[in-house]
Amino acid sequence: MSVHMIVCIKSVVREAPQGVGRRTPENSELNPYDRPALEAALRLKDQTGGRITALSMGPPVGIEALAEARAMGVDQAVLVSDAALAGSDTLATARVLGAAIRQLAPFDLVMFGIRTSDSDTGQVGPQTATVIGLPFLGGVKAIEPETDRWKMKRQMDDWEETWQVTLPAAVTIHPRAFLPRPIPLVGIAQAHDRIDVQTWRLTDIGLKTDDVGLAGSPTRVAKLEKIKHQRTCRMLAGEPREQVEALIAELTTMGKIPS
Amino acid sequence: MSEPFITAKHRVLRRSVRAFCIDELGPIAAEIDQEARFPWEVVEKMGPLGYFGIQAPQKLGGAGLDALSYAIIIEEVSRVSAAIGLCLSVHNSVALYPILAFGSPEQHARWVPELASGRRIGAFCLTEPNVGSDASAISATALPVEDYWLVNANKVFVTNGGIADVCLIFARTDPQAGRKGISVIVVERGIKGFVVGDLEDLCGMRANPVSSIRLYDCQVPRENLLGRSGQGLAIGLAALDTGRIGIAAQALGIAQAALDEAVRYANQRQQFGVPLARHQAIQMMIADMATDVDAARMMVYRAALLKDQGAPVSRAAAQAKLFASEAACRVTDLAVQIHGGYGYSKAYAVERYYRDARVTRIYEGTSEVHRMVIAREVLG
Repeated sequence: MSVHMIVCIKSVVREAPQGVGRRTPENSELNPYDRPALEAALRLKDQTGGRITALSMGPPVGIEALAEARAMGVDQAVLVSDAALAGSDTLATARVLGAAIRQLAPFDLVMFGIRTSDSDTGQVGPQTATVIGLPFLGGVKAIEPETDRWKMKRQMDDWEETWQVTLPAAVTIHPRAFLPRPIPLVGIAQAHDRIDVQTWRLTDIGLKTDDVGLAGSPTRVAKLEKIKHQRTCRMLAGEPREQVEALIAELTTMGKIPS
Repeated sequence: MSEPFITAKHRVLRRSVRAFCIDELGPIAAEIDQEARFPWEVVEKMGPLGYFGIQAPQKLGGAGLDALSYAIIIEEVSRVSAAIGLCLSVHNSVALYPILAFGSPEQHARWVPELASGRRIGAFCLTEPNVGSDASAISATALPVEDYWLVNANKVFVTNGGIADVCLIFARTDPQAGRKGISVIVVERGIKGFVVGDLEDLCGMRANPVSSIRLYDCQVPRENLLGRSGQGLAIGLAALDTGRIGIAAQALGIAQAALDEAVRYANQRQQFGVPLARHQAIQMMIADMATDVDAARMMVYRAALLKDQGAPVSRAAAQAKLFASEAACRVTDLAVQIHGGYGYSKAYAVERYYRDARVTRIYEGTSEVHRMVIAREVLG
């Protein structure tokens, strides 16, 4: 069995910008939620063979995240980057990724991190699956290749579901299910001494300017404001045991821990 | 703050090494210091990842990275555990590097893949009980007898000594020739007459098994001579030029760790109704510490970059080592001061940083020797 896995990744902003942030290499990094998705793909490759393509959409700084994916062991890296893409919302992003994924066909599995650490919508994975009409499973924590339908597990609260999925399919990966491996130093040297990332423009994936960017986005971020949390400190009285009981009661009432 | 010198490769490397060290060394750094225990369980993971062959060529099993990457790796490892940073610095720059730079193709094939993968650990054996900075006064001998070298040596303060498999021994191969009679013989642990002394009970760097290594009538094959006969001091100086960048990077890592802890503590600890950070006396200290750390980083990275460009590096490396080690002592001292009584307690990491920093002004050339080197270059 030789499979082609496409892992969609994002170069995220590390620190919340004031207003609309400008992406610089210093404040960008590979979305930490994408690492488990890359790890899941690498483990599948170890198991079944095949190849992995990392795909990203964004400004040229995304090359760094893709090079990092190459250092981890990804075989091919593609960045879709075009000035017309600026202002794309999650739907426009899904259109772009979907068009690029079609371009990369044939493929068996499209994988996403469950969300991003900067915009945190969790929408791009499922939307992309919808745009290109793939079966979709969210929060997958185990993948077992089979000859016919693949077996996949996902967790919902205290229940674990096992699904049988016809490929090609799209999944988002549970962030704690696949602990990413440390990157070998030689991988970093090889991936960066000769950066091997293809850059595609809008015309390369057959989309028009109106499909993407602000023009192709039904939603837009109207305002971005930092929230200041009001922190208070309350001392609990009594013996340690009483303090612990009072703390548990309080957290349960607040809904922070299950009753 | 954006940084000069740094490329995408270095950023990825830094994040990746930092994450690995925080995960693997972070939880045990205090414990291995207190127990003076070498953490094989982590070192065995570092080997396959390339930490023991950072600049060795990929065709010999190394990672094939540049000197700036090397400095960043030593900095990040030392930020979490300076004793392990020391192990890597000595192994990579004063054991493996001289073999790469002066060894024959046969010697490369014999030792480099094993060393670069961390399956074997290297050590640099120059210091003797009566010989420190004055390296040309060593009394160890390696005399040509029949088809071998007869080696007798008493080497002390050998970093990695307790675990080293491949030791670069500086010895007199021609006792009549003075400075020109010193050579480097590679001696492998386990040969007859090879004795590892007791581990030193040191102030800092305690997780590194620093020991003496004594050789009694060891019969070492002639092909274990590194470079030419009489080239010993030149090899030693070349190794130490590279080594200085590693030790400077190590001092930088310790200083950064101390600054991080001081900032965290200053923001959290309340005195006179406000966080320490609101007191101007503490602000002045933090500003000085941050400036020292920044200046040290620029000097260390510059020296590494010059090395990558193939430019002369002696002065830049000596200045970086001198400045970074002295900065590390100033910064760790202030970090203890900011922590007050807690900083003097083993419950807080700054106590360890304070002890670890001190030796960076002593080993691989004291501050005073470095001032001599720098003055010679400046005065011409």
